[in-house]
Amino acid sequence: MLKLDNISAGYGAVSALEGVSLEIADGQMVCLLGANGAGKSTTLNCISGVVPLRGGQILLDGAPLAGIKAEEIVRRGIAQVPEGRETYPGMSVHDNLVLGGWVHRRKRSLIRDELDKVYALFPRLKEREQQHAGLLSGGEQQMLMIGRALMSQPRILLMDEPSLGLSPVLVERLFETIVQLNRDGLTILIVEQNAQLALRVSQYGYILENGEMATHGNSDTLRRDPKVREAYLGT
Amino acid sequence: MSTTLALIIISGIATGSVYALIALSIVIVYKSSEAVNFAAGEVVMVGAYIALFFIVSTSVPYWLIFPIVAIGTFAIGAAFERAAIVPIIRRMSARENPLIPIVIATFGLSLMLKGIVRVIPYTEQVRSLPPLVRGAPIRIGDVMILRADLAIVVISVLFILGFWIFFTRTLLGRALQASSQNPLCAQLSGIPVARMRMIVWGIAGLMAGVCGVLVGPKLGLTPDMGGVIMVALAAAVIGGFSNLPGSIVGGFTIGVLQNLIGYWFGSETIAVAPFIMIMVVLVLRPQGLFGGPVHVKKV
Repeated sequence: MLKLDNISAGYGAVSALEGVSLEIADGQMVCLLGANGAGKSTTLNCISGVVPLRGGQILLDGAPLAGIKAEEIVRRGIAQVPEGRETYPGMSVHDNLVLGGWVHRRKRSLIRDELDKVYALFPRLKEREQQHAGLLSGGEQQMLMIGRALMSQPRILLMDEPSLGLSPVLVERLFETIVQLNRDGLTILIVEQNAQLALRVSQYGYILENGEMATHGNSDTLRRDPKVREAYLGT
Repeated sequence: MSTTLALIIISGIATGSVYALIALSIVIVYKSSEAVNFAAGEVVMVGAYIALFFIVSTSVPYWLIFPIVAIGTFAIGAAFERAAIVPIIRRMSARENPLIPIVIATFGLSLMLKGIVRVIPYTEQVRSLPPLVRGAPIRIGDVMILRADLAIVVISVLFILGFWIFFTRTLLGRALQASSQNPLCAQLSGIPVARMRMIVWGIAGLMAGVCGVLVGPKLGLTPDMGGVIMVALAAAVIGGFSNLPGSIVGGFTIGVLQNLIGYWFGSETIAVAPFIMIMVVLVLRPQGLFGGPVHVKKV
């Protein structure tokens, strides 16, 4: 179980998160919603250990993660798919994926098995194995980023706006894959602008406003909540 | 083609191969830290003096000098990253650009290395390293090729090939590239980006140090021989600065051109040649011969 207990974080004089708490049980898919600048990405980056905490703590199965290096957090089973098109553009798809398995680099057979699994999940990537990542389409780059995160064999996957910049058809297909990954036992925390979609696929939702937790609840309840509907679902 | 001209071109290729290696040292640091390492020339100089020290005061065979210098100058590069770059980056907030402090720190390193070398013996008189190999020149038709020149080219090309294989074929090499191309991504994959940066600075030091041993027999050793960096910078600029194959071509080009300019216009023009070439390239093709589209970076 991943638990954020009253965490705060910021950049310079600007505070980005104030006393945010959330919980993700094993096997759950949880979504984190909110407007631009609400602190969604900062929350994920705090969990991944790339943005330092100013207060509160993050617990993975009861053990605090604060102060632990980013690489150790990946080793403990938390991987992040960052927002945008974050690949190594000058390297092949294969190399991008292999680097995702860096924390298991000594176990070569494990990397090979994991690579096969990723290619089975995204046959498209297999076809483009030797192409430079920078030459892939938006949808393929998103697959590559998810594949790269899976290479570290995470228990918990953090996803930052996977639907960004993709056509509705591609988003639909991508989310089918994400739901499948969750059904196969992967715990997922997903940040989304597309609140409608995120609440449909997740079991629980949190809504951030200006760095503070505004509300949270079962995804179905949130979808029916008139205030949430008005503010985030556009109805 | 006259035999003199051929000789001049061949000698240019030899020095050019060393310029290429120094340019690579500058470019890999630039790619990883976005800063120009102005101390690269002084690391060349220190590499040469380490070699001189072992040649004069021990009976270590010449081939063993290379690994010794490599270890020594790798340590200088890596230690500089730990002692200067890490604190600079730590003090900067995430949104400030640490570029200028890093560049100034490299100037500091350059002065420090020069100062340290000046106080040790061996610098009272200008000395050269013994030639890498001895023996009669090889004759091809009317053209004579000095064995020493050939050795320089062979060794630097071997080094360049070795680095190429390391950076593109090994996992560590790819991780070093990844940390330069997209540090955030690398960090999220669990790649220790800071340690990777240290290794890059170490390898850059190693490349420069080895160059010291290679140019040592051709140039006189003085604490000021780090000025060779201007030529390497010219090579990097010609190659497009962040383009590795480009800077290799740039190195060879400048080695040959410099010698030709010296031959046609007198040896005193050799020193000016790299600056003229930088100017011509920047005016006609600011992104370098192999660079992509021009990016203007405001600092």
